[in-house]
Amino acid sequence: MNEQDPPAPRLVSRRRFVQGTAMAGFAAFLAACTGTKSGASPSETAPSAAAAASTEPSVGPTAAPTDKVVTGPLKFANWPAYIDQTTAADAQSGLLPAGSSKTIEDFQKTYAVQVDYEEKIGDNPTFFETIRPALAGGLATGWDLVVLTDWMAARIIAKSWAEQIDQENVPNCANNLRDALRGQTWDPNNDFHYPWQSGMTGIGYNAKTLAENKIAEPTKIADLWSIPADKLTFLTEARDTFGLGLLKLGIEPDPAKVTSDDLKKVADDMQPLVDKGLRFTGNEYLQDFGQKKVWAAFVWSGDLASSGGADDKFAFPEEGTMIWTDNMLIPKGAVNKYTAELMMNWVYDPAVAAQIADYVYYVSPVSGANEKIKALDPGAESNPLLFPTADIVAKQRNFQFLSGELETTLNDLFATLSGL
Amino acid sequence: MTAHPMARPGPGLRGRLGRALPYILLAPGLLWLTVFYVLPAIQMFTYSISTGSVENGYTITLSADAYSEALGKFGKQFLNSILYGGIATILTLMIGFPVAYTIAFRGGRYKNLILFLVIAPFFTSFLIRTISWKILLGDEGPLLAPLKHTFGLLPGTFSILGTPIAQVAGITYNFLPFMILPLYVALEKIDIRLVEAAEDLYANRSAAFRRVTLPLALPGVFAGSLLTFIPAMGDYINAELLGSPGTRMIGNVIQNRLLVQNDYPVGSALSFLLMAGILVAVAVYARLLGTEQLTG
Repeated sequence: MNEQDPPAPRLVSRRRFVQGTAMAGFAAFLAACTGTKSGASPSETAPSAAAAASTEPSVGPTAAPTDKVVTGPLKFANWPAYIDQTTAADAQSGLLPAGSSKTIEDFQKTYAVQVDYEEKIGDNPTFFETIRPALAGGLATGWDLVVLTDWMAARIIAKSWAEQIDQENVPNCANNLRDALRGQTWDPNNDFHYPWQSGMTGIGYNAKTLAENKIAEPTKIADLWSIPADKLTFLTEARDTFGLGLLKLGIEPDPAKVTSDDLKKVADDMQPLVDKGLRFTGNEYLQDFGQKKVWAAFVWSGDLASSGGADDKFAFPEEGTMIWTDNMLIPKGAVNKYTAELMMNWVYDPAVAAQIADYVYYVSPVSGANEKIKALDPGAESNPLLFPTADIVAKQRNFQFLSGELETTLNDLFATLSGL
Repeated sequence: MTAHPMARPGPGLRGRLGRALPYILLAPGLLWLTVFYVLPAIQMFTYSISTGSVENGYTITLSADAYSEALGKFGKQFLNSILYGGIATILTLMIGFPVAYTIAFRGGRYKNLILFLVIAPFFTSFLIRTISWKILLGDEGPLLAPLKHTFGLLPGTFSILGTPIAQVAGITYNFLPFMILPLYVALEKIDIRLVEAAEDLYANRSAAFRRVTLPLALPGVFAGSLLTFIPAMGDYINAELLGSPGTRMIGNVIQNRLLVQNDYPVGSALSFLLMAGILVAVAVYARLLGTEQLTG
């Protein structure tokens, strides 16, 4: 066919693709501007020597000491719908293979290493159980990089089950991590973790199905109680489910104040729903939405926007949301530790970070990414998933770090609730 | 006493080997069972009477707490297991018997082909077969969507997934071949002349079936029921994928206790109770069917 000019190596963001042809000229222009840059160089913090002249990928390991050898394949476990993926348009144009990711493809090209990126994590406890025996036995888990939520990351770090990150290898992370995410009590100097994305837990629903069944779109957590329970799912992530349950009952989900009795109230409040068919799921709620098995659910903020159908919506409940951050960790004994560090560094390049966040619709931990997102996707700044408004931020609650007693109660109540 | 006179004169190499041969032949199987069944079972039993945690290790305290918790908290799940496993076994028998009968007596030259078709789904993994039921029975799946929208027979809110019906359907489907194959073997062995003889002796067809075919097929029914009921009782995949929290079976609890909550004592106690329950059920069943004659 027309084999003249290969298209500029620039991906069409999902939303912009949807915006259609009116934007096409502008998009092409943007593509020409930003494409080579975002494709090539993890920019700002690149070693200055390598920077200026060339447009070739010119970063990092060129200057690296010889013992820092890139090895692979990098085994990277992450949650579903959590990285930019090839859009239909890119797959058609042959720019990227279907089911791939520009972030990963570029990394593979730059470092000439294979990345086995797998969507293996549906909730924290279940995934943790798959690696715990190896960690406890002092064996390699088979993963080089995993992404886990704060409380689980803290637990793994406390057990010395994470490799210490060599900060020399991750200058982007050290420089670009947002101040608000620094100095966590469980790893104050980021010796073991760097955040992947932050997000919120709220309500997801299928607007069309609800309309067909003459049910108003939920705006409050309590609204879910008036939807047929067998069309609802809550999360197997017990902290999220009980946190929202507390908010629904008007109890402040503050780990320092919540009592076992409060949790008991939440369980009692949910038990009738369970009796009528409520189910608990991990990230596989995305499939349930896809099959219209579920009408409304507790979901994580970006998923439905990035990977749901056109009628699948996310709502910030009036009562508030749960806030959390998922973090990259290198499990103890990882065989490709250096490559894992390179990957951490890679995704902390603001251009790459913007590319990921603008696809997955979560909040990027990388400072400088916001500007890139706005440039990449004009109008994104009004998207509360990427840029939560002051009102939303004011209602974010963190219900992650529980006392031993509270955690035991939570696990017991949740097990009973889920029939286990 | 050995009947053969040649064997008498002695403990020659051949004789000794002859006597040891059964044990040599049994050795691989016994070794396998010792390492992978007996030892883990002992280990599990010690867990069930221990207290402690995965982190800090377990000490044997001969405490029966795990058993009382297992019995006290999970009656419903035990009941679900017996109920769903039982219903599924009866359903596989009802579906499987006519199939096995047809293959054995009417299969003709298509016998092998039909038998192949019975086991053909087994070329796919158990998990995938069960997940495919999820799609099949989905609210907007190929079964319900037409009934809801094209024919308007069912309300839009109707669903099968998450109910005991879906779960029993899944178990029945997954274990059907375990029923059909032993039934087929038993039926195939029946000498058709016995049925003819019964008819010659003025039995009508149904009497001949009741008095001759069915009793002779009982070993197959027995074997098939056990092969279906035992794994069905312990199954947790179907409950996990097709059920809901209210339809959990004891297998789900065991899986959760051992692999998610790391509560080894209760998980082990539950496993032992399940094993004991199945043994009792099988003993009663064998007594009722009188296996002495069947197997002997």
